[in-house]
Amino acid sequence: MEGEKLKVAIVGFGKMGILHAGILNVLPEVKLVAICEKSGLIRRFLKKLFKNVLVVDDVGELSDFGLDAVHVTTPISSHFAVAKSVYDLRVASNVFVEKPLASNYDEARELCDLALRFGGVNMVGYMRRFSVTFRKARDLLNQKVIGEPVSFSAYAFSSDFFGIDENSKIRTPKVGVLRDLGCHAIDLALWFFGDFKVNDAKIDSLFGGDSEDSVFFEVETQSGVSGKFNVSWCVDKYRMPEVGFTVEGSKGVIRVNDDELELSLNCGERFRWFRHDLRDDVGFWLGAPEYYREDECFVKSLIDRKNPEPNFSVVRKLT
Amino acid sequence: MTGWERALLVGDNPFHGISHLSQERSRIRGDTPTSPEYAAKLVSIAAENGANGFMFSVSGITLSILKILNESGVIKHLDLYGIVPYAYEYVRLASQRGSLPGLAKTFAKEILFSGNLRAAFLGLNGVVWAEPLSLMKAYLDYEISRIKSAAGRNTHLSCALLHQLVTDACLGFNLDWLFKAYVDFMLDKGIKPGFNTGNFAFLINKFREWRINLKDVIIAAPFNKVGFQMVPSREDCETALMCLPKPNVLAISVLAAGYLKPEEAIDYIAGLPNIKGIAVGVSKEKHAYETFKLLREKLL
Repeated sequence: MEGEKLKVAIVGFGKMGILHAGILNVLPEVKLVAICEKSGLIRRFLKKLFKNVLVVDDVGELSDFGLDAVHVTTPISSHFAVAKSVYDLRVASNVFVEKPLASNYDEARELCDLALRFGGVNMVGYMRRFSVTFRKARDLLNQKVIGEPVSFSAYAFSSDFFGIDENSKIRTPKVGVLRDLGCHAIDLALWFFGDFKVNDAKIDSLFGGDSEDSVFFEVETQSGVSGKFNVSWCVDKYRMPEVGFTVEGSKGVIRVNDDELELSLNCGERFRWFRHDLRDDVGFWLGAPEYYREDECFVKSLIDRKNPEPNFSVVRKLT
Repeated sequence: MTGWERALLVGDNPFHGISHLSQERSRIRGDTPTSPEYAAKLVSIAAENGANGFMFSVSGITLSILKILNESGVIKHLDLYGIVPYAYEYVRLASQRGSLPGLAKTFAKEILFSGNLRAAFLGLNGVVWAEPLSLMKAYLDYEISRIKSAAGRNTHLSCALLHQLVTDACLGFNLDWLFKAYVDFMLDKGIKPGFNTGNFAFLINKFREWRINLKDVIIAAPFNKVGFQMVPSREDCETALMCLPKPNVLAISVLAAGYLKPEEAIDYIAGLPNIKGIAVGVSKEKHAYETFKLLREKLL
């Protein structure tokens, strides 16, 4: 890899594939060399759009290109099969998988084993760990600014399916809101507080069937912090998906979401930070600054040959 | 440049419930103008107080606003700056349809049944031969016809700007030929080609490298005193701005999403070179009156 650009391929050219490919392509250390996409229509357009990028329909076709890394940005249900093929077919030993790592724990564990066996760098796309507001919140928690955490409540909401009822032709994705959106809140909770166990859970469906559209559950961390999660993709006025936390500690409260962070101390002092205050600068802006930092972190890890966080092993319980 | 050439544009972000400062605060305040009638009233008040244009993403809401402004005659006093596509709606549709092909089918049906024969032909040609340029032209024809249909056939669309997500994705992929084709297509139509970008300095460098004439285009990009969303830095964006051949930049995010007071925000913009105009969103009648009165005093 030394002296040359890292050769990277994207598998799955949906909205996340476009986003990562666009960012990777401007990183000075990286060259996007191939795209694997199942849809014939999209493939035909890609061949016309990208003159110097190989476009294929099967992961196996990427085996002979000496790829340094592969980004898996397919639908969640296929993360496992695609990532497994990347390892099994010796496509690359360094793998980035969009969140969540897989559809269930067994699949995630198998991918962890494969990653360990092949010894490359691996990462899962929980981009909110690269958000300036959540990073600041974690710093404050680690510094015990609000003392010992006592309890927290978390939400992950979007309006993606707000206003859709059983008469609509649209159906919510089978993967469910927890894996699609709620996993961000769960990942941040693990990052903030460490492991926890679920005590109680309630799942609601928009259509009275087995779709998982709103989820509420209560947890307790190993250090005795109690937590509540509220996750839904059918809440009004959440034009963009949003994740937020309220953490109560012995000395104060932290409220944090994608846009801002508020610290209220029991002594009466209050502080507030917006993205503007937290050096939200990046080299290239596509989607959100978090995505750039995430891809930059993965690439730096490739160069340093050190596993970044969150890697497969860290987030495998999140499936 | 003389002050009278400056474009003072009403931005549409508040009409879509967008707050780049804090979505939560926007929800709590309930300051999203929910009806097109009220939004049109805000645009009219802004126009009475100095606004001379309207910058909008092409969506159901903004097309309704244009229709009301057309009926009231206010539109005659406004230059229109349309942003295409309304990327948020397409991302949402892609989420609902599950994939890009699903979205493409929905979109193709829309064009085919729009009654715009030229757009339908180009679109069909684009799909059959997998021709990105035909598809792009079909889409642009379709969007322009939607704007004209709402705003009135005689209304002049001053500028059609590519949405930030599309501009910046194409920048990331180095699609110079697509940028050039977009510029040529719009110039042929007598519409100024524009680009909304979050990577102003990067775009200027690329356009120079690709020999795209910067005099032919308009660029909308964040400029504000605190450097919010100015990528990679305020200094780099200011340097790129200084090197432009003529004032062709529309400053957006001027108030840094409400973080800055209007006076200090406008003073910063007034001191920058090559600013063609400024777009500011308003969500209350008082804001519309005060903000554009101030803009007129400071910038015209």
